[in-house]
Amino acid sequence: MRLEAAGAAPGWPGAVRIRVEPPRGNPPPPSDTMADDASLHDFESGLKPLWLRAQAGDEAAYRDCLRRIAARLRAFLRRRLQRLPDDVEDLVQETLLALHTQRGTYDAALPVSAWVLAIARHKLVDLWRRRGRQEALHEPLDDVDESLLAADVREGSAHRDLDQLLQTLPQAQRAAIVLTKIEGLSVAEAAHRTGATESAIKVQVHRGLKRLAQRVKA
Amino acid sequence: MKTDDLIELLARGAGPAPTAVAARRLAPAAALGLAASALLALALFGPIPAALYALPTPWIKFAYAASLAAAAGWWTARLARPAARLVVPRRAVLAVVAAMGLLGIASLLATAPGERATALLGHSWSSCPLSVLALSLPALAAALWAVRGLAPTRPMAAGFACGLFAGALGALGYAVSCPELSPAFVALWYSLGIGLVGAVGALLGPRVLRW
Repeated sequence: MRLEAAGAAPGWPGAVRIRVEPPRGNPPPPSDTMADDASLHDFESGLKPLWLRAQAGDEAAYRDCLRRIAARLRAFLRRRLQRLPDDVEDLVQETLLALHTQRGTYDAALPVSAWVLAIARHKLVDLWRRRGRQEALHEPLDDVDESLLAADVREGSAHRDLDQLLQTLPQAQRAAIVLTKIEGLSVAEAAHRTGATESAIKVQVHRGLKRLAQRVKA
Repeated sequence: MKTDDLIELLARGAGPAPTAVAARRLAPAAALGLAASALLALALFGPIPAALYALPTPWIKFAYAASLAAAAGWWTARLARPAARLVVPRRAVLAVVAAMGLLGIASLLATAPGERATALLGHSWSSCPLSVLALSLPALAAALWAVRGLAPTRPMAAGFACGLFAGALGALGYAVSCPELSPAFVALWYSLGIGLVGAVGALLGPRVLRW
């Protein structure tokens, strides 16, 4: 896995070209289309404890959760976007960004999958609205099930370029994200590097990701 | 951008999830909206005579508006979170309005038949709902802003709840300037004003609460 930042871009704090460790833990196997309630139950019961650890700050658990959720989202959105297959991966990413920036709205009393599904549906409706209702009317709705039953780890191609998106952020937000999220500095190190306070770095990262989540719609 | 790369970006240094996000956004909005409505009421209409506070009616107004603000704020907070359960807070809102309605009816029944119309209409029935609406607008803007930063997946319902929340805060502020004395007046015209703000919120919700 490789994250690249455009070194040629002006104003880019520290052109980055880094390697990221290979995924820890196994991605869920692609389940077949005949998945049943038991499979959803398994998905939820496997995800919930992991998700609660992620909410408490366990980074590895969070990464694992996002991978599992991404595979389910992909299968869910592929079924729902049969006329717009090119939009599937973009919408997976948009939904993941929304899940991340809104992770504080998760209520531990609820199934994680219900929360994820509510956000995914919201993003889907939003996409249909942007593409025009005409497209939405052509979507086959009746024969598609409304759940996160199946997983699909075959990643499609996404069109957005992270570097270009980051370029659209205000400098302070971009620097905070690049330093902590791409260069992998701790918040304290990033604060030291930029001269900002630690809480300011955290706020800039959060605001920057929220703004990215809005920008990915364009 | 590869989705795995995005996941790596999101997970790296993510830290614990923020807690009580709805309360943290709604509480300042409520404080701001309430302060704005009370200050506007005092500036535009002036305070009621201090002697009126010896009567129960101002306190009934405060209690009604404050409990409705609490219930509607609870409902709003739930609507700002995906998949949250809505039944209990919605019932709380209905219960508060119903309790005020019963109190209004009881007070009318205790009034001499010839004076019931005067008690119900007071002398400001035609302006009261509009005053509540006007005084609620800062709170409505603040509440919509607060919810917009969260994750409302039912924008019209969330807008309506924001409107009721803001309307109750506006009514709470208006109570410092409203000289009406009958609980029946409060039950009818305050509720109507708060409902108007709810309608404005429901209209604005689908446009404003996009995320």
